[in-house]
Amino acid sequence: MSFDFAVILAKLPQILMGLGVTILIWVGGTLAAAVLGFAVATLRRFGGRAVDLALRVPIEILRGTPFLVQIFLLYFGGPYIGLRLDPWVAGLLGISIYGAAYYAEIFRAGFQSVPPGHVEAAECVGLSRKQIIATILLPEMALLVLPPSLNMAVILLKETALLSLITVPELTMTVQAIGSQQYAFVESLVILALVYWALVELANGLGRLAERNLSKLSA
Amino acid sequence: MTWKLFSLLLEASLMTIFVSAVSILLGLALGIVLSGMRMSGSRIAYAGAGVFISFFRGVPLLVQLLLIFNLLPVMGITLPSLATAIIGLSLCTAAYQAENLRGGFEGVPPGLVESAEMAGFSRVQSFVWIRTPIALRMTFPALVNEAILILKASSLVSVVGLIELTKMAQNLSASTYQPLPIFASAGVIYLAINLVVAAIGQRAEDALPGLPSK
Amino acid sequence: MRKQLIAAATGAALFASAVAANAQDALDRVMEAGVLRVGTETAFAPFDFIDAGTHTGLNMDVFAEIGKDMGVEIEWITLDWTGVLPGLEAGRFDVVAGPATITKERMERYRFSSPIAEATVALLACAKCDIESPEDIAGKPIGGATGTAQLAQLQAFAETLDTPPASISEYVSFNESYADIASGRIEAVANSLPNIAFVASQRPEVFKVVKPAFGTPTYFGYPGRIEPEFDTLMDKIDEILLAMKADGRMATLQEKWFGTTFDMPDYIIEPNI
Repeated sequence: MSFDFAVILAKLPQILMGLGVTILIWVGGTLAAAVLGFAVATLRRFGGRAVDLALRVPIEILRGTPFLVQIFLLYFGGPYIGLRLDPWVAGLLGISIYGAAYYAEIFRAGFQSVPPGHVEAAECVGLSRKQIIATILLPEMALLVLPPSLNMAVILLKETALLSLITVPELTMTVQAIGSQQYAFVESLVILALVYWALVELANGLGRLAERNLSKLSA
Repeated sequence: MTWKLFSLLLEASLMTIFVSAVSILLGLALGIVLSGMRMSGSRIAYAGAGVFISFFRGVPLLVQLLLIFNLLPVMGITLPSLATAIIGLSLCTAAYQAENLRGGFEGVPPGLVESAEMAGFSRVQSFVWIRTPIALRMTFPALVNEAILILKASSLVSVVGLIELTKMAQNLSASTYQPLPIFASAGVIYLAINLVVAAIGQRAEDALPGLPSK
Repeated sequence: MRKQLIAAATGAALFASAVAANAQDALDRVMEAGVLRVGTETAFAPFDFIDAGTHTGLNMDVFAEIGKDMGVEIEWITLDWTGVLPGLEAGRFDVVAGPATITKERMERYRFSSPIAEATVALLACAKCDIESPEDIAGKPIGGATGTAQLAQLQAFAETLDTPPASISEYVSFNESYADIASGRIEAVANSLPNIAFVASQRPEVFKVVKPAFGTPTYFGYPGRIEPEFDTLMDKIDEILLAMKADGRMATLQEKWFGTTFDMPDYIIEPNI
């Protein structure tokens, strides 16, 4: 057995396509997850006890079960309740919903970190709820929620690899397919690992940069 | 969804629990070693631990497992599927646990370590007998959290040939064409296991002695 | 970093070839261990599949005979198909059940056993779909399994059509592609006749076999390693398979699992594809 990375690298255009799909689903899914998570956290914060409890259940379910089981349920189980999604739609939706449960918890912790006195004071001077969220809660918790948010984004990037199991033509599926066509299995896995590693380190680096800038701003 | 199918899922979940439990403990031991390497003062050990942690936190577990499964035999090491799955999960969780422990080690009061060393403890002894127990105690909630993450991550080990809860669900779904009730049941079993782990963790957290004040 | 990794990988490769040079004869090793390790996927009914949680199929029966004749235990290692041939090359197991379509390209890489079934590719379609001949897949969503010869033949066939299929989805295993026919996401899957005949017979209300077969006539064999130290092991397996064909045991098993028997050559020297 010898190693031949050239046969894999010869398929660079295909690999870049797969990488593109991975990045699109990752970025799109993470943004959707953060927005959805923020909406859920806000509802829990201001919607009263019943809403808070009702939203806790799906969050616990999503956080207590493997992502793989969730996407299998969505992709293979969905058609039996009339939900017949294309693989990439199922993948994007899966990442968004799964991520939203974690972002909802991140933002909930963020809201809790803001001293209640600040919100009460804002209410007293007659600020609307929207204004309170935009001018008090968001800026005050930004520094606190940024690190776990970035961390979650990186976790979601790695979770996209599982979408290869529901036929989404992302990086893992593409490189593995090339590996089996070219009989260069180990090489394809080594390249796959290196690309993800680089992506994650890049994302971490950007995250550190964002954190530094934000803390400078608020200092 | 019959009781027969559900009981097959329950049976397979024992493998999920076993693989996860062993991996968590091995990962904890390795995580402590990695922490020691980072605090040893040796630059090589520090860099080695850093690269290890960065790699295993930077590559999807699916890819890690496939890589370990296919790369080890090329290096002349052939292990059964069970061992491969445990090694894969342990290496991955070790990287995360080392990160979790870092906070704990940083929180150990320096005075405690100094007085231990004045009392004649070597650096290694104070690491093993003073710093590690305190760091473990301080990061215990993170350990429970990590246990739940690994239970969920173990859903991937079928790629190295192990039949656990998720693979059994896939198999049953394929033979019965009832993906909805079968994957939903698998989800319920994962949820139940994780709720139990979280509850035990909470109990243990309450029962453990309190933290030293800074 | 990259350079170091390639250096490390090259080192590993040199080490591996050094190991290979001193490799023990595979048959001796299997006999000494008393265990023949067989790798396969369990999503390939009726060869290997999971029936109510239990691994079963023609391969189980055939390898039970092989184990009995050799006097060794059979140890099964089950993976996704995309992991099976890599696992064989990595030395995870001694031989692959599968089976795999015997092709020219694969014969350069693997040593195939005497053929055990016909592998000619046809379409499995949803029973109510408007697919009566292979050409009817034009403009329709269809699928296959990643890393299979059947998928390659489907892709080649699709290129001969004036209107290509709407899409060709690639699944990790055939089971998932069948599930997607049942759920209506795709309308047809290309796989070998013995497989799809079995699936259609299990669920005639969901599936139908589209005839004629569009693929080139091919055969299934068990792939093993091509290196010389595996010759004796593969010779031994062939010897047992040929004996099973001669004394009617193979015909009985084919009848049991396929409901029919195949006339097969003893060896495939020059595959059609």
